[in-house]
Amino acid sequence: MHALLKLSSLIDAFNERVGKCAAWLILLAVMICTVNAIVRYAVNMSSNAWLEMQWYLNAAMFMLVAAYALKRNAHVRIDVIAGKLSPRVQAWIDIIGGLLFLLPVSLLIAWYSWPALVNSFDIGEHSSDPGGLIRWPVRLVIPIAFVLLSLQGVSEIIKRCAFLQGLIPNPAEHHQETV
Amino acid sequence: MSHELMAPLMFAGLVVVLLIGYPVAFSLAANGLFFAFVGIEMGLLQPALLQALPERVLGIMANSTLLAIPFFTFMGLILERSGMAEELLDTIGQLFGAIRGGIAYAVVFVGALLAATTGVVAASVIAMGLISLPVMMRYGYSKRLASGVIAASGTLAQIIPPSLVLIILADQMGASVGDLYEGALIPGLTLAAMYAGYVLLVSIFNPKAAPALPPEARTLKGGALVWRVVTCLVPPVVLIFLVLGTIFMGVATPTEGGAMGASGAIILALMKRKLAWGLMRQAVESTATMTSFVIFILIGSTVFSLIFRGVDGDLWVENLLIGLPGGAFGFLIVVNVMIFFLAFFLDYFEIAFIMVPLLAPVAQKLGIDLVWFGVLLGVNMQTSFLHPPFGFSLFYLRSVAPKEIKTMDIYWGAIPFVCIQVIMIAIVIAFPGIVTSHVSKAAGAISGSGAEELRRQLGAPAAPVPKDDAAAAIDRMLKEQK
Repeated sequence: MHALLKLSSLIDAFNERVGKCAAWLILLAVMICTVNAIVRYAVNMSSNAWLEMQWYLNAAMFMLVAAYALKRNAHVRIDVIAGKLSPRVQAWIDIIGGLLFLLPVSLLIAWYSWPALVNSFDIGEHSSDPGGLIRWPVRLVIPIAFVLLSLQGVSEIIKRCAFLQGLIPNPAEHHQETV
Repeated sequence: MSHELMAPLMFAGLVVVLLIGYPVAFSLAANGLFFAFVGIEMGLLQPALLQALPERVLGIMANSTLLAIPFFTFMGLILERSGMAEELLDTIGQLFGAIRGGIAYAVVFVGALLAATTGVVAASVIAMGLISLPVMMRYGYSKRLASGVIAASGTLAQIIPPSLVLIILADQMGASVGDLYEGALIPGLTLAAMYAGYVLLVSIFNPKAAPALPPEARTLKGGALVWRVVTCLVPPVVLIFLVLGTIFMGVATPTEGGAMGASGAIILALMKRKLAWGLMRQAVESTATMTSFVIFILIGSTVFSLIFRGVDGDLWVENLLIGLPGGAFGFLIVVNVMIFFLAFFLDYFEIAFIMVPLLAPVAQKLGIDLVWFGVLLGVNMQTSFLHPPFGFSLFYLRSVAPKEIKTMDIYWGAIPFVCIQVIMIAIVIAFPGIVTSHVSKAAGAISGSGAEELRRQLGAPAAPVPKDDAAAAIDRMLKEQK
């Protein structure tokens, strides 16, 4: 169990690093979008590459932060019933949910996204708009994000198991925060 | 198991899976995938359907309407952390303090102003709870009125543009965000006026519940007060113009409006010398986390709805709802009652992402104007923040309210405002003109602008134009399925 907890804290630290860095992309997106809007209105000029840059950055931001959000227990739950259950039962819900919901979904989407990514890379797929950006980097975000999410899922499961064995305090508690 | 049973079973599965209490995004997706495998095993669905999943995710990533969500959230957080709410409340409270119920009016007024700038319910309620509630308590306001008016005014952020709910609703209904913003403006302001009207009634019939501030509590007077009002009103008004003005005039798309608002908020915070590194980091991280969980619910619900449509679930829902007695009117009543009660348990994200895609096509088929329908649902969902026992606004207020205010005071205080909300829903149903008359003019004005995004959005409700390469690929795949 201790080796697993070590693995869990490695994953946590890594995803926290990734999430905190990726979060800053939103600032970049805000600046690019503001400049785009002003330039378009002022000199009536617009560039598809810069327009697409906005959503590339935003997409990378929310996809790569997802694992960190899971670590912070920020993904919304319906806790009408679960909120009344004991922490132990909630930990079981998270273990079962992680195994049956999170891991299959994340791995499956990551798996299915791979052929499209390879294909996009091979044919050098570009956006269909003139002057648009090359597509594979943003497609690459999908498998990366879902693999990170799967890893975080594994880490959360390890922490819940350790909690059930009484090795660590309840991992769900001290992260809950409102945004 | 026959084909017809799949959709109802899937829906029942959804309810069970969501109630388990695991994060909604993954529960939704897992439920969809489970039924996808069942369907594929039974030969009802093609395995190729699953290959559409990554394309759907890419479609969500490329959606420029949703880009407005982090922009507006970021703007709201920067404004909140740089202390705009505190300043406004303090100053407007001094201004209105001399009249009976003055602080309560100030709360409604500032609530509406904050709604039009920050648009974050939690921020508004917490700021007003921390600043105005103690003042109201000290000078003898009724606990119920004080907490009710704060909780309710905070929820105005949900309906007065630039509200996030309206962005999500517009995206899910294929309507334009700009139209929904224009449509929601009058109902939103009317609501604020009705809150103020309620305060007036209380101050007439129960003057003790809403006293005026004694002279010694009003520290700012004369010229100093006027100067404070001007200086603290200017920044929000500039931002409102920057964001809503440019959107309504058709100069900027809602997404650009959001970005400019966020830039404006950063500049304001810089000017006030409030922009510290820590503030920025917090705002960036909170924005990212929130955007991520919202978009992941959308990803989950997309997985669900891809499969749900695959088993003709959309037709099942349509048949159920079109067959209601009373036609369009019956549909509206049932939908509103349903959402009102669902909102006891579900967030507005969940309602918007799960229910609205099922309801919007039916509404369209019944000849209901989607912008009007969206605003109606928006007002209804705003109520969900307010009604006991699970209203978020009430939670936020509870978290900052002093101990002498009992949770029951907050609950009872919210009830008159929930009634006002219900009256407002009835008004929107009875007089669609307050939403639509306003929008049709504007739609013409917007179509003149060159923004590609706007054209696409305006064209979307009538004939869904392929959104981009990814979405078009999915549409093709779905057609091949049928």
